[in-house]
Amino acid sequence: MASRQDDLNKTLVALTSSAFLLPAYQSAMADAPPEFTEIGTRYSKYKEDDISAKKAFGGRSERYDIDVAQFYLLAPVSDDWSVALDVSWEDMSGASPWFVGESIEADDAKVIMSGASIEDTRTEVSVTTRYYFDSGNAGFNYTYSDEDDYESKALSLDGSINSEDGLTTYSAAVSASDDDITPTQGAYPTNTLDATKDVRSAWLGVTQIVSKRALVRFGLSYTYRDGFLTDPYKYLDDRPDERKEWTVSAGYRYFLEEPNAALHVDYRYFDDDWGIASQTVDVAWVQTFKDTTVSPFIRYYSQDEADFFSNIDYEDTDYFSDDYRLSAFGAFSYGLRLSHEIGNWSINADAERYQTDESWGVYGGEESPGLVEFWRYGVGLNYAFK
Amino acid sequence: MKYLTGLLLAIVLCGCETVQPWERGILSKDEMQWQSNVMESRLRNQVYASKEGSSGGPGAAGGGCGCN
Repeated sequence: MASRQDDLNKTLVALTSSAFLLPAYQSAMADAPPEFTEIGTRYSKYKEDDISAKKAFGGRSERYDIDVAQFYLLAPVSDDWSVALDVSWEDMSGASPWFVGESIEADDAKVIMSGASIEDTRTEVSVTTRYYFDSGNAGFNYTYSDEDDYESKALSLDGSINSEDGLTTYSAAVSASDDDITPTQGAYPTNTLDATKDVRSAWLGVTQIVSKRALVRFGLSYTYRDGFLTDPYKYLDDRPDERKEWTVSAGYRYFLEEPNAALHVDYRYFDDDWGIASQTVDVAWVQTFKDTTVSPFIRYYSQDEADFFSNIDYEDTDYFSDDYRLSAFGAFSYGLRLSHEIGNWSINADAERYQTDESWGVYGGEESPGLVEFWRYGVGLNYAFK
Repeated sequence: MKYLTGLLLAIVLCGCETVQPWERGILSKDEMQWQSNVMESRLRNQVYASKEGSSGGPGAAGGGCGCN
C-alpha cells in the first residue's frame, strides 16, 4: 500500500493546488517530480434539500442541484519540473432565495424563492507548474473559470522550504484574481448589469514533525476583496465593496500502528471586518485494510452574523443583507470516504450529509429561514502509467 | 481557540523528537497527508465556501465563482 497510490496522492497534493494552495510537509516526494504520469477522473452530485412550506412563501420549493465532472493530469517534465492540469465542469439548475419577507398572520420571516428558473454551467481550467530543488519546491498556477454570468482569472505563487534537519517546513503563498460579473437577465431584476471584483490573498504556514508518527501544522492567511461583493441576484442585497479576512488554522495527523489507521484533526478560526467570525473543526479517521481505505469524517462549523444581516430591513442602514450565508448558524456535516486499489487503477467513492440550525451555533443571532442542507456524493477513478 | 492553539503549541515546543530521515516512513504514508483526495477536497472546499460566510485556511484564496 505504500507505493504507487501513496506516490500519486503525495505528488497530487504537491502539484494540483490552485484555489487552495497546499503547503507543508510533503515527504521526500515534495522535493522531486513524480516518477510517472497520472490521470484521474471523477463525477460528483450536489443536491440541496427542498425548502419547506413553513419557511417559504408559495409553498415547498426545490433548491440547487449540481452535477460536477472533474479530470486531472499530472506529468513529470524533467528531473526538476512537473506540470499538472485540472479541469472541472459543473451543470447547475434549481432555485435560490430571492429575498425574505414577513408573514403577517404568523409574524415570522419567510423566503421568497427565485423560482426554478436558474440554469448555469461552469468550466474551470487550472494549470500548475512546479520546480523542485534540494530543500523544497516552488509552484506557479493559473486558473480560469467561466460561467454564463461570471468569469474569473487567478494567478498564484507558492513555495516550501525544509529546515536543514528536515523536521520543519516553512511555506508561503500569494494569489491574485480578477473576476467579472455579468448577471443573466431574466424574469427578476438584478443588482448590477456588469461589475468587477478583485481578490488578493497571502498565506504563511509552518509544518513540524512531532514524532515518528505525528505531524502538526499552523497557518495564517489574509485576504482582501475589493469590488462588487453584493449578490447580484438577491433582491435587497447591498454589501460593502471591500472585505478584509483573516484565518488562523492548525492541523494534526497521528498514526496508530496497531489498527493501521490515522487520526486527522483540523481547526480554523476566521474573522473579518463585516462582523463575521467562525470556527471549524474537522475530524477524520483513516482506516486501511490491505488495498482498501475506509474513512469516516465529521465536521462542525459555527459562524456569527454579519453586522448588516437581518431578515427584515427595519432600519435605514448603509448596508443590508438577508442572505442566509451571512446569518448566525451552526452546521454539522458527516460522511464516509472509500478507496480501493486494483493494480495500476484506484477507485474511490464518498458521501456527505450537511445539516444546519441556528441553535447549533456558538454565536447567537437571528435565525434565517433560508438555511441550506444538502447531500454530496461522488465516485472517481485514477490510473498510473507505471 | 486559545486552548486549542496552546495545546498544539505545547505539542510542538515540548513534545518534538528528533526523527531521522530513515525514520519518516510512517509520515509519508498516504493516510498521513493533509489531503487524501485532492479532487474531492477541492470540491468540498468550494461547496463550503459557497454556502457559508467564511472561507480559506489551507492556503491563499484563489479565483472565485458565481456559486450561489
